[in-house]
Amino acid sequence: MFSLLYGFFEYIFRKDEFHVLILGLDKAGKTNVLERLKTVFTQSIGLDPGKILPTVGLNVGRIEAHKHNLVFWDLGGQSGLRSIWDKYYSEAHAVVYVVDAANRNRFDESRAALDRVLENRELVGAPLLIMANKQDLEGAANAQEVGQIFEVERAHAQGRQFKVLQVSAYTGQGLKDGVEWLVETIRRGQRAQRLRVRQAS
Amino acid sequence: MGLWISKLWSLFGDQEARILVLGLDNAGKTTILYRLQVGEVVSTIPTIGFNVETVTYKNIKFQVWDLGGQTSIRPYWRCYFPCTQAIIYVVDSTDTERIGISRDEFKALLDEEELRDSLILVFANKQDLPNALSDAQIAEGLGLHDIKNRDWAIFKTSAVKGEGLFEGLDWLANMLKTRRK
Repeated sequence: MFSLLYGFFEYIFRKDEFHVLILGLDKAGKTNVLERLKTVFTQSIGLDPGKILPTVGLNVGRIEAHKHNLVFWDLGGQSGLRSIWDKYYSEAHAVVYVVDAANRNRFDESRAALDRVLENRELVGAPLLIMANKQDLEGAANAQEVGQIFEVERAHAQGRQFKVLQVSAYTGQGLKDGVEWLVETIRRGQRAQRLRVRQAS
Repeated sequence: MGLWISKLWSLFGDQEARILVLGLDNAGKTTILYRLQVGEVVSTIPTIGFNVETVTYKNIKFQVWDLGGQTSIRPYWRCYFPCTQAIIYVVDSTDTERIGISRDEFKALLDEEELRDSLILVFANKQDLPNALSDAQIAEGLGLHDIKNRDWAIFKTSAVKGEGLFEGLDWLANMLKTRRK
């Protein structure tokens, strides 16, 4: 009985929870982004960049920003484990794609991986935020360059909201803007509504 | 009983972690335990009951409980659940026939209230044998992707060769240290 009341109470007062997938090649800095987000938006201090190991699974991060709860799913980027990415698509409200902007040698590989992500029908209408990460390094490609290489304009044709942002997970540059954009775009888009309906049914 | 022992343990400093090693019988749990503790492959017999050892690694004292995995004694796993910081779930990567059973046992663990905050570390063991499934296949087989509210990691291991085990402990140590803050 109590749990019923409690459930009802929760239902009434809950904040919308948005799920955001963090994807990208290995060594792009996904976990670093997640840990930095924790530092910026929560009371806890995220892991020191030097202590981060390659992710072989899932790291979950919860933050509260702009009156919404965001749950970040940071998945391992090594090629063997990329096959599990798509298991998370159907419940994701948006995708953050992290690119190591200082490593031009892997742009092609990264773009190919992103293309496969965007082809997936489960992600129709999911906003895409490309983080041109590692801006603290010299010679990092800027947002415009990354946008051109990844031909993000194509997303327009698919009716997908997108943005390319210069970010440094190391210094925290760009992360606040990124989260603000995510919340705003998810809130205004139709995908959140669709997912809510699907969860309820 | 297990709870009291671990409470007693926790009096001696805070860098301690209680770890349960679980998985079906013949997955290699006991071999892993002793490989971690003494660094050697010891010959083992099927565990009836439990083995417990302390492994100190990266300034954390891991109190590792290896519980017997046979069908008849799996119900007793629950007695050891309270105050567990992490589960090491061991899978025999060559046992394709029983991956479904392993998955069911694994899912049951995830639903346990007392294990709600435990970290989940999966060892895809016996990678030294031919026909071993890859980590991605084990992840798929166990349905790891259904876990969306907590951290998990999977490592390819060979207890016999000693590969992958400490990489897994590295991950655990890392996660446990951040949680302490």
